[in-house]
Amino acid sequence: MTDGEDGCGTTRLGAPKVGVHFDHPDRTYAPQDSLTAAYEVEGVAVADIRAIERSVVWYTEGKGEEDLGVHHFDRLEGAAALRAALPAGSVSLRLPPSPLSYEGVVVKIRWCVRIRLFFTAGRDYVSEHVFDLGDVPPSRGTVERLA
Amino acid sequence: MRLPRFFGKKRGHRRTGSQAWGSAGEAIFYALLVAAALCFAGLLLTGVVGLDPEAVGLPWAGWWLWIFTALIPGALLAFGGAGLVRTLRGWDKSEERRAAAETLAELLEPVGHGSGSPRELPGVPTCDDLVNSPGTILRYRLPIESPESWQLLGIGLFAALWNAVLAVLAVTAGLDLLGGRVEPVLLALLVPFLAVGIGGIVVFVRRLFLTTAVGTTQVEISDHPLLPGANYDVLLAQGGAGAVALLRLTLEMEESAAFRQGTDTRTERVVVWREVVKEWRDVRISPGVRFEAHATITIPRDAMHSFVSEHNAVRWRIVVHGRPERRAPFERMFPLVVHPLPPDIGGGRPEFAWMEERRR
Repeated sequence: MTDGEDGCGTTRLGAPKVGVHFDHPDRTYAPQDSLTAAYEVEGVAVADIRAIERSVVWYTEGKGEEDLGVHHFDRLEGAAALRAALPAGSVSLRLPPSPLSYEGVVVKIRWCVRIRLFFTAGRDYVSEHVFDLGDVPPSRGTVERLA
Repeated sequence: MRLPRFFGKKRGHRRTGSQAWGSAGEAIFYALLVAAALCFAGLLLTGVVGLDPEAVGLPWAGWWLWIFTALIPGALLAFGGAGLVRTLRGWDKSEERRAAAETLAELLEPVGHGSGSPRELPGVPTCDDLVNSPGTILRYRLPIESPESWQLLGIGLFAALWNAVLAVLAVTAGLDLLGGRVEPVLLALLVPFLAVGIGGIVVFVRRLFLTTAVGTTQVEISDHPLLPGANYDVLLAQGGAGAVALLRLTLEMEESAAFRQGTDTRTERVVVWREVVKEWRDVRISPGVRFEAHATITIPRDAMHSFVSEHNAVRWRIVVHGRPERRAPFERMFPLVVHPLPPDIGGGRPEFAWMEERRR
């Protein structure tokens, strides 16, 4: 189980906690592997949630502006759909062949499962759980900085 | 219902500031542009702002003046309207939802048909432009990406534009002199302008001579796109005439990241992996007979594949560095595309036997 981090215009309304359990304990997947992530939301009443978004995305980190690619996205709203997806649920999908996770000098590529909760009060909370796609080793450092 | 917070704080690399306020600010800005455009258009149409070609000293302009004037509210309306629509469409939507909407068509496409299209390999650049030129000996001739050519083009454009302005000023000054008028400010301006103009032409001609004197460099490769762990034959062909003290063929991987700094957009480029493939010393090149040499390049097994997104990139390339005996050194780049290894690769291909081992 991993605790997520929150951010992106979010707030800790009712101090929710989202735990995610990956079917690969080391959270490393080969390209085109299937991934199942079971999540559990604690610390918030289901009645206070108006929607939940479950996504599997890659994003870039580092010196550059952040780029985001969405591989899987679903949004559930309405009482019946939320009852099925909360307080626990799972996301299953086949991962793409690229881009692979990468820890470079000025470019880093991360994959993650994001669970975003939208509260009836208007705010939202996002929990992000990183995993690796592929096993590219980290960059060994700068050889030359170009002008 | 609580109002969104004005101020947020950074948590690690992420901001916790309110997106709602940001979106509201954007929407107000674009709405103001649209309002200004409508006001301006209204003033023009109702005749409050007069557009009399005679009054502005352009009696021949007629409708052209109207069209030209309408460009300002038109541009404001287009820019403001597009921004307003974009902001409203993204209102109260998470970044994942917005990004998913943009790539919905790609998500609906099944994975695993054909090879090499960006939809099948997200984030990997296509290599269509790299495989459309057959080589003379090996399969493909790689396109050249020479920083010297861009510098030459930039200097040439600068020299041309500067001297065009100079010509206009010179003609104006000449007409004044012929008419018996002397404009001391204009004449004083002409002297430094003329110096810069002549300097631009001299630098351009010198660069042109240096660039063309070295001769063309061609690189051919046995296959493309490249895969980690595989070997590829490369042919280096260098034209020109004279002696080259050193010719070096290197394979390198570069990371580049574009970011905003104030109002500027900057790009940081870093070479993170480099291997000297082969060097040739004291190469004598005769006119009409190009120097040709073969080499083998190997993409490391655990190499990162080529990657391109809007602001970030990981690029592979072959670099040819030359040091002629009597001229300035040169560097020519030949981009490559490295794909990630398909999980099912191996069977029957000896260069990927290590993949089979790893799977076992």
